[in-house]
Amino acid sequence: MRRTYRVLLYLAAIAVGLFSVFPLAWMVITSIKPTDQILTSVPVFWPTSPVVTRYVEVIERGFLTFLRNSLVVSVSTTLIGVAVAAFAGYTLARFDLPLKRYLLLLVLSVQMFPLVVLIIPFFSVMRSLGLLDSYIGLVITYLSFSTPLAVWILRGFFQGIPQDLEEAAMVDGATRMGAIMRVVMPLAGPGLAACGIFVFIAAWNEFIFALTFISDEDMRTLPVALQSFIGRGQTDFGAIMAMSTLFTAPVVIFFLLVHRRLTSGMVAGAVKG
Amino acid sequence: MSGTVARTPAETRPASKEPDVPGGRGRKWFESRVLPWLLLGPAIVMIFGLVVYPVLRTGWLSFHDAGLASLVSGATEWVGLDNYATVLRDPHLRRVVIVTAVFGLSCVAATMVIGVAVALLLNQRFVGRGLLAVLVLLPWAMPRVAAATVWRWLFNDQYGVVNWLLTTVGLDRFAGYAWFNYPIPAFIAIGTTVVWGSFPFVALSVLAGLQAVPDEVRDAARIDGAGPWQRQRHVVLPLLKPLLLVLTVISTIWDFKVFDQVYIMTGGGPARQTEVLAIATWREAFTQLDFGLASSLAMVMFVLLVAITILYIRLAAEDEGLS
Repeated sequence: MRRTYRVLLYLAAIAVGLFSVFPLAWMVITSIKPTDQILTSVPVFWPTSPVVTRYVEVIERGFLTFLRNSLVVSVSTTLIGVAVAAFAGYTLARFDLPLKRYLLLLVLSVQMFPLVVLIIPFFSVMRSLGLLDSYIGLVITYLSFSTPLAVWILRGFFQGIPQDLEEAAMVDGATRMGAIMRVVMPLAGPGLAACGIFVFIAAWNEFIFALTFISDEDMRTLPVALQSFIGRGQTDFGAIMAMSTLFTAPVVIFFLLVHRRLTSGMVAGAVKG
Repeated sequence: MSGTVARTPAETRPASKEPDVPGGRGRKWFESRVLPWLLLGPAIVMIFGLVVYPVLRTGWLSFHDAGLASLVSGATEWVGLDNYATVLRDPHLRRVVIVTAVFGLSCVAATMVIGVAVALLLNQRFVGRGLLAVLVLLPWAMPRVAAATVWRWLFNDQYGVVNWLLTTVGLDRFAGYAWFNYPIPAFIAIGTTVVWGSFPFVALSVLAGLQAVPDEVRDAARIDGAGPWQRQRHVVLPLLKPLLLVLTVISTIWDFKVFDQVYIMTGGGPARQTEVLAIATWREAFTQLDFGLASSLAMVMFVLLVAITILYIRLAAEDEGLS
């Protein structure tokens, strides 16, 4: 009885592990296989003579341009979003303001909005301002989902920082703003960094706005570039998987770095409010 | 609704109690009445400009007839509820609403079952548990577009691993089976991808909840003669009910607005049969250029999700009250 239970436990653990990892592993394995080992009806699980030519090919087909576009948009969104959200998050954590409850409800519920509801007005405004196919246009629209997200996360972080230190600074003659800049923000450093990574990942992965607002091939971000790569009836699965790998790798690394903060922050935010 | 956002440690003490700082009355007034609004200002402007205004504008457009030219020039024509009537009357759009609900709820059910099962598994003691907890994170970390790309390859008819696996275990009809040629198999493939990406969040949240259940509770149940299964089923799970409700609602919201996976894997095809609300809205807007009808579809989705969100906030508030 006990033994059967242990066996079942390990079988379940192996099944869950394989289910989680296999698609990622298969992506990487496919990307380094020679073509005759990709198109087989019985999968070749371990390539005998791995090749890196697909990565060279993907880079030659404009990967670096798409990477630059994605980086410019995601980094700008992160810097602006976190800067704006840091002050808002601090204020919502410390001050008792009229209508604060409604503001917090708005921030919370905005995270549930489907982006497709925002997309038509964004499109018409950006078309009249000539911001389609521009970094600025994308960054502005990305702030719509990243700012509320960052406000919510950072408010949580600021609540975890004791008030005593800034109060001491103010008793010693610092202004509130001075205390914020010199005492609170440095203490919130790790929280700001984790929140920044979270916002960066959200912007890096964003698909629907980039798909809609970017038509110039040289302005494509990585998700759109990957989609158009598949869309062209492309059957070079090795190259597609190489591009997916390059697109996925940075996010997975970042995610594993901050996931502890993320899960506790998100669950605390989502469940406890 | 009220309890959700108000009761937090920092606020239980009077937040407006200012420390006795040097400086004139003017400064105190500035720091307690003006400064907060200056600090909040940019975020408020962004949230109203980038979220509240667009939603209202979409609502306004949903009562208008707007093509591309009139959308940009602003010369749209008021048509009352015509667009909503079209959504109800058009057999395809009506089907889209139903399909979105059925697909969304099926994904939620699968996500919750797998998520809770994985959490219970991770809560056992075994060699390699730490490793498994990290591996389970990976699907959550992978960008949706990349995940959909890879799953599309896994479900490939000729060379896909899924068909190979199914034929290897004896299901011969899956040799060369074309998953994306018919709506139900296509939805199974898309649903697998959606559930794969969302079960880790549920699993890790439930695991955190399980670990917060005090050992005394389990011990008491054991002393009273409850077996391991009964302890989980009748003692631990009821304690987690509020958390499970909240997770169900969050998953519902996520799965009702699915866009990326469908767009990448089928693009809504074959013959628009795998269109869900987000895809149909996007298509009416940006390929049919019927922005009025698209706006009304977007509002249908918005109202559905707002209803679910209100439910979520209510539940979260109740959860607060219980703990």
